[in-house]
Amino acid sequence: MATEPGINMEAKIDARENPFEPYLDALKKVLEDQDPIFMIGIVVSLAVVVITVVFLKYILSRKTVQSAVLLVGLCDSGKTLLFSRLLSGKFKKTQTSITDSSAPYKAKNERGSSWILIDLPGHDSLRPQYVEKFKSAARAMVFVVDSAIFQKEVRDVAEFLYFLLTDSVVSRNVPSLIVACNKQDITMAKSAKLIRQQLEKEMNTLRVTRSAALSAQDGSAGASVHLGKKGKDFEFSQLPMKVEFLECSARGSKGEDGEADIASLEKSLAKL
Amino acid sequence: MLDFFTIFSKGGIVLWCFQGTGVTESFTGPVNALIRSVILQERSGNNSYSHDALSLKYKLDNEFELVFVVGFQKILTLTYVDKFIDDVQLHFRDRYKNELEQKGALALLNSHFAFEDDFKMLLREAEESSKARGPTSMRSFNASLKSQKTVKSMIETKGGDKGKEQGGKKNKNAKKEAPAAEPVKGEKAKASTSAQKTEENGNQGLTQEEIIQKKREEFIRKRMGAPVEKPSKSPKPVKEKPKGKEKRVWTLGGSSTKELDYSQSNGNGAHAAGDQGLDAQADPGMQLSSMKGDLLAVDYESSEGEEEEEEEEEEDAVERVVVADTSKKIPKKGAFGGMFGMLKGLVGSKSLSQEDMEPVLDKMRDHLIAKNVAAEIASQLCDSVAKKLEGKVMGTFTTVASTVKGALQDSLVQILQPKRRVDILRDVLEARSQRRPFVITFCGVNGVGKSTNLAKISFWLIENGFTVLIAACDTFRAGAVEQLRTHQRRLNSLHPPQDHGGRPIVQLYEKGYGKDAAGIAMEAIAYARNQAFDVVLVDTAGRMQDNTPLMTALAKLIAVNMPDLVLFVGEALVGNEAVDQLVKFNQALADHSMSDKPRLIDGIVLTKFDTIDDKVGAAISMTYITGQPIVFVGTGQTYNDLRSLNARAVVGALMKA
Repeated sequence: MATEPGINMEAKIDARENPFEPYLDALKKVLEDQDPIFMIGIVVSLAVVVITVVFLKYILSRKTVQSAVLLVGLCDSGKTLLFSRLLSGKFKKTQTSITDSSAPYKAKNERGSSWILIDLPGHDSLRPQYVEKFKSAARAMVFVVDSAIFQKEVRDVAEFLYFLLTDSVVSRNVPSLIVACNKQDITMAKSAKLIRQQLEKEMNTLRVTRSAALSAQDGSAGASVHLGKKGKDFEFSQLPMKVEFLECSARGSKGEDGEADIASLEKSLAKL
Repeated sequence: MLDFFTIFSKGGIVLWCFQGTGVTESFTGPVNALIRSVILQERSGNNSYSHDALSLKYKLDNEFELVFVVGFQKILTLTYVDKFIDDVQLHFRDRYKNELEQKGALALLNSHFAFEDDFKMLLREAEESSKARGPTSMRSFNASLKSQKTVKSMIETKGGDKGKEQGGKKNKNAKKEAPAAEPVKGEKAKASTSAQKTEENGNQGLTQEEIIQKKREEFIRKRMGAPVEKPSKSPKPVKEKPKGKEKRVWTLGGSSTKELDYSQSNGNGAHAAGDQGLDAQADPGMQLSSMKGDLLAVDYESSEGEEEEEEEEEEDAVERVVVADTSKKIPKKGAFGGMFGMLKGLVGSKSLSQEDMEPVLDKMRDHLIAKNVAAEIASQLCDSVAKKLEGKVMGTFTTVASTVKGALQDSLVQILQPKRRVDILRDVLEARSQRRPFVITFCGVNGVGKSTNLAKISFWLIENGFTVLIAACDTFRAGAVEQLRTHQRRLNSLHPPQDHGGRPIVQLYEKGYGKDAAGIAMEAIAYARNQAFDVVLVDTAGRMQDNTPLMTALAKLIAVNMPDLVLFVGEALVGNEAVDQLVKFNQALADHSMSDKPRLIDGIVLTKFDTIDDKVGAAISMTYITGQPIVFVGTGQTYNDLRSLNARAVVGALMKA
């Protein structure tokens, strides 16, 4: 009895192999008929194609080289003027930027390293697009804050900073962050220390409200990166990236023709 | 006469500026306002903008990423400005081509653009050319076609002198003599200035007579039909005519002048129409009994139906005109040229021109309209994208279609991005720290989902630990208050008071039906302040935007109570109607507010989003018209169906084929 299924199985296996057999034989015959050099040519070209594909994939998936420093901030905080001062030292009148501007910058250090300085527009409707475009190439971000009207804008500043810090690409690459408190030439400007404290308080609140915000209509939730340590109040020292607060004035205290007080900023940029 | 002229790069650096004599104010403010409201909101189809007392005209140079802006006082009407900007642009580009072509901003920063002299020269030329033209005057008689005709005919006829003799008899002729005399004087004056007309001076008197003859003819013909006292004199000039020249045969005129007299039939027709109107007015009194029995067919709604049809026809005509205008330029490429054009377009740098973009833009416009974007907004958007791309140099291997699509996608995402921070929870916390309730008002037309979404938003707020007071200011619709009471009970059962310190987390403030909504809202806010509620949600009755008394009532409610957030609730199914609704709502709020800064719509709630698959155009229409962000998106009827807007996803769905 047991042998019957065995015989049946064998018969079945034979039957299955049999339809393939004539095809295999035909294939073997065709291959043997061909010129061996032709066969070798086909094999080599296939190999080249495979190697190219693998190579391209490797190149494209590599992290893009980070060689840019981004100037970000709210509208009217002085990014474009700072850009002009850093690159050429001159004072230029500026208007609201509509697109980004970029130029190579030579840092003032012994190594003479140079990287690209990119000035992004600060207007609310353009900000997300341009940050999206340049965030992967950033090795450092200079966040420019208008110190004179900071009190009124503190929630907007904090929201943008929160958006930057919780971005997935940024939290992966960990570019260093320099917060430049601009417009120090105005008498009512707040100091960097005060701005830091206020921002920490705001970010603390934002952690709660932003995580409770509604998810988008196609189901994608907001940023799931939690800033700082859970359970403790937020402090900038808890962040994985290097954060530095400094004061500067792009316009300069001596008016338009004088020098700008950006020495501390240049020093920090040199350390990058 | 210009106040200022600036040339700046799109990256924000001012390359050159000019400030008119005596102008002390800085122009940065107005130009920034221009950038924010026009260029960034994609309204650059129309190239002028007014800010306070200044009128600004601008031009984008997309090849070198420059913007040219000129500003002058609004009360002056300068005719040379458009051409002047074009001239300046061309001049500037030619002169500084080298610096502008370099990539990167260093060249712009380091070079100094000494454009003063060129600018002054161009300005002088423009001003002189506009002065030289002077006010357009009527064509002189000699310059018109009539003079050329009559000279020829004068050589043949001999009856011109008699026409002049009969000139003094009739009043009409006296009037014609007077205006005839004036052009004669005018011509004499001009003849002294321009040498061309001296040769025609000799013919003046005769040509004038010809005109008088012809006009007399027409006058007589008209008079013949009506019973007038002068039959004897009138036929004379008519009979004398055939001797002098051939009788001109008018195809539509007919041989007898009686056919040309429409006076009787006109009067009769008018009378008939008037009688019909009277009858129609007498009819409404009889219609009470006409509803008995079977219903009448649609044709019988006579006057109303006709009026509606006429209105629809006018609208169709307007739409047709708009469509014809937008699609008037059809590219006339032959098949062969088209193939080469395609190849040329792929390789090498080619700058985009209006004709290249036309077909692609038309297709994109139709695509947007098919996706439920309002028609006029789709065309404005396409114009704005065309302005932004004109003259831009494309890279290799990029087609016109891909460039235009990319630019359109960018501008759509830009429109949907909120222009201010949208974080309701943070603002509620801020209001709580100031010990006052955060007031949100919902307004919209009938049936869009105000009460449903109000319940969803209150659920979201109580989930985050805020106490909510619902103010039932819909005192008109039957069952509105009961609906809100049911929601309140359900929400309280989901979050029982025991969890929140013994106090019900949602309460309803209502005063029944028929009362004044603004008064109820004011009392509700005062009650919330006393009882330390965090949020007050004010539900109003739905109203059509054309209903003036209701719009006034809504404006009064908002002006009196000054809510923190005025949300317009609109459904995603709406099409072109969205534009009309939002414009009229905003208009009503602006008109009936007493203060200088009226409270307008602050945000939009887009409801019934689950009913549209990818026809998401209503979102674009609404944000484009108001410039305000979409704060909430309603995707269903349960409490959990509340979302925020993801701009990229919506634009992706919109651009999908």
